[in-house]
Amino acid sequence: MLIRDPGGLVLIFMMPLALVVVMALVQDAPFRDYQELKIDVLLVDMDRDSLGNKIRKSFEAAGQVHLVEESDSVVARQKVHSGEYKAAIILNPEVSSTLRRKTRQLIARVFTKFGMDADNSDSLQIPTIQLKVLVDPAIKVNYRQNLTSGIEKIIANVQTSWLLDELQEQLSEGKENTEKIEFDLSQIAAVDQRYAAEKKSVGLMTNSVQHNVPAWTMFAMFFILYPLAGNFINEREGGSMLRLRLIAGSQFAVITGKFLFYFVVCLLQFLMLIAVGVYIMPLLGLDRLVLGDSPMLILLTACCVAMAATGYGTLIAVYFKTAQQALSFGSVSVVILSAIGGVWIPIYVMPEILQTISRFSPMSWGLESFNDLFLRQAHFGSILPNILRLLGFALVTLAASVLIHNSRTVS
Amino acid sequence: MNVVQLEHLSKTYLKSGTPAVADLSLYIPEGAVFGLLGPNGAGKSTTIMILCGLMRPDQGRVTVLDIDVIAHPHEVRKRIGVAPQEIALFNTLTARENLIYFGRMYGLKGPVLKSRIDHFLTTFGLTEKANKQVHTFSGGMKRRLNLIAALLHEPQLVILDEPTAGVDVQSRNMILGFLETLKATGTSIIYSSHVLEEAERICSHIGVVDEGKLLVTGTQAAVRGQHPDCANLEALFLKLTGKTIRD
Repeated sequence: MLIRDPGGLVLIFMMPLALVVVMALVQDAPFRDYQELKIDVLLVDMDRDSLGNKIRKSFEAAGQVHLVEESDSVVARQKVHSGEYKAAIILNPEVSSTLRRKTRQLIARVFTKFGMDADNSDSLQIPTIQLKVLVDPAIKVNYRQNLTSGIEKIIANVQTSWLLDELQEQLSEGKENTEKIEFDLSQIAAVDQRYAAEKKSVGLMTNSVQHNVPAWTMFAMFFILYPLAGNFINEREGGSMLRLRLIAGSQFAVITGKFLFYFVVCLLQFLMLIAVGVYIMPLLGLDRLVLGDSPMLILLTACCVAMAATGYGTLIAVYFKTAQQALSFGSVSVVILSAIGGVWIPIYVMPEILQTISRFSPMSWGLESFNDLFLRQAHFGSILPNILRLLGFALVTLAASVLIHNSRTVS
Repeated sequence: MNVVQLEHLSKTYLKSGTPAVADLSLYIPEGAVFGLLGPNGAGKSTTIMILCGLMRPDQGRVTVLDIDVIAHPHEVRKRIGVAPQEIALFNTLTARENLIYFGRMYGLKGPVLKSRIDHFLTTFGLTEKANKQVHTFSGGMKRRLNLIAALLHEPQLVILDEPTAGVDVQSRNMILGFLETLKATGTSIIYSSHVLEEAERICSHIGVVDEGKLLVTGTQAAVRGQHPDCANLEALFLKLTGKTIRD
């Protein structure tokens, strides 16, 4: 019957495909914001000394900020204010020399304190050096924090470097042929950031494809209730359900028959959308979906999600008496379950109360399992609790469907 | 032997509060074509639903083919064939696919199922349309296919609720002709209809119900013999149930 229903086929297969592709494309930029997007930042270097060069080199090496030179600070302010640029770094005249003086004063104070000869000719009080960073009010908080901490890190490095240089200079005063040592401060300490995977690390951070494909695939699978409930209620209103009621045999067979059929449809949806993630997304300029190394566990999780989705759809189909009621309630409930289940936005950014509620959404159980398998290389024991939750949900909804259907078969 | 025995049957719907069937007792002998007649809301459909095991009576005992319907509804459904008033078919399946599906649900398969489907499609003039989807059928064709679906498993008792509703004269003639043939084989039939000419033509026995109560029952000849002033079944029906509109 489904094959003869082009509208139903489009709804079951083409609409989810379009949804997954569109959502992955739309959310690609926001995901890259956090990870790899380059932003243009103005640099107004009125100092024309070494600090500006250090800033240029450091940001160039980091790769997340593209510095654009601007000579006029007023123009820079206007450009940031208008949103043309996200931020501007203003280096006032003589900021490098002031920093150098402050460093020299610090070394001189230390030497004097320990009774060593030092150049104390510069004893004027130097105020704290302040670099001005202008930001677009619309800039995201994490951009602003990244930019500020980046500049602070550069200044700290410069200051440390100059401290060491000054220290060498003062210590070598009066000694001949003393060769200056160049220090590579990055060799002293470094943060070794690794992914906390159970097995070998795949070195993968979540991205638009990695989030959206499993998330919206589950959304589509739960939307199976739409054709399921529509078909079920059509049969009830069209009379064919009455014929089935008039035929000997348990109504359990009727319900489980429909359940199994739509379960298989859900699995086909899953396979198709995962294939889209692996093969089609790269053709659209997006990342390839990485599946991890546990295909059987992925299939097991998909089966459990399909059972939960079909069970829920069957319950909606059986419980509501009109197609309008079933489809309206069903659609809205799936949207709510998906929202609290982390399909739209990750659960960890939700308010605490929603994070608690999200534990009751079957979509969160499924999504968590897929993330465990795709990104964390999880083993069976890790996904077992969510698998059991999904199976429990499927059994409860199916049992309730059979009970309700049976109670209405004999009134 | 009676194929149907209803004893002191009562059923009241919670929503309406008025009894749909009130202390109804009825016996239908084997091989009879029993016309269950009555105006709208008389309790015919409720009685049929109870006979099929789709509804439980509040009181009374129901036996079909010597099987207690309330205790063993599945056993009863295996042995009866029901053509409900509404067309109970899958619209997007073809006529043959519908019959294959329902036949399998009755446990038929293989050559037996195929030969029965072919036989009935030929009998009801649907062979040429066998591979067309039901939604393309006329009302008469759907009605005939609806009837076939009730007969595939060769039931001992056939229950027909308005089997000729909305069909043209030719289709009606075909259906009635088939029922006369079925009657000749000794199959018991319960025939519920508002078309009293049809009942007069094919029913060996009749029962007239109104307001949930049985007004009269017996062979058609005996019942009509009790009312010699009524020229036909319609006159008898109006005499018993009155001329007041019920809807």
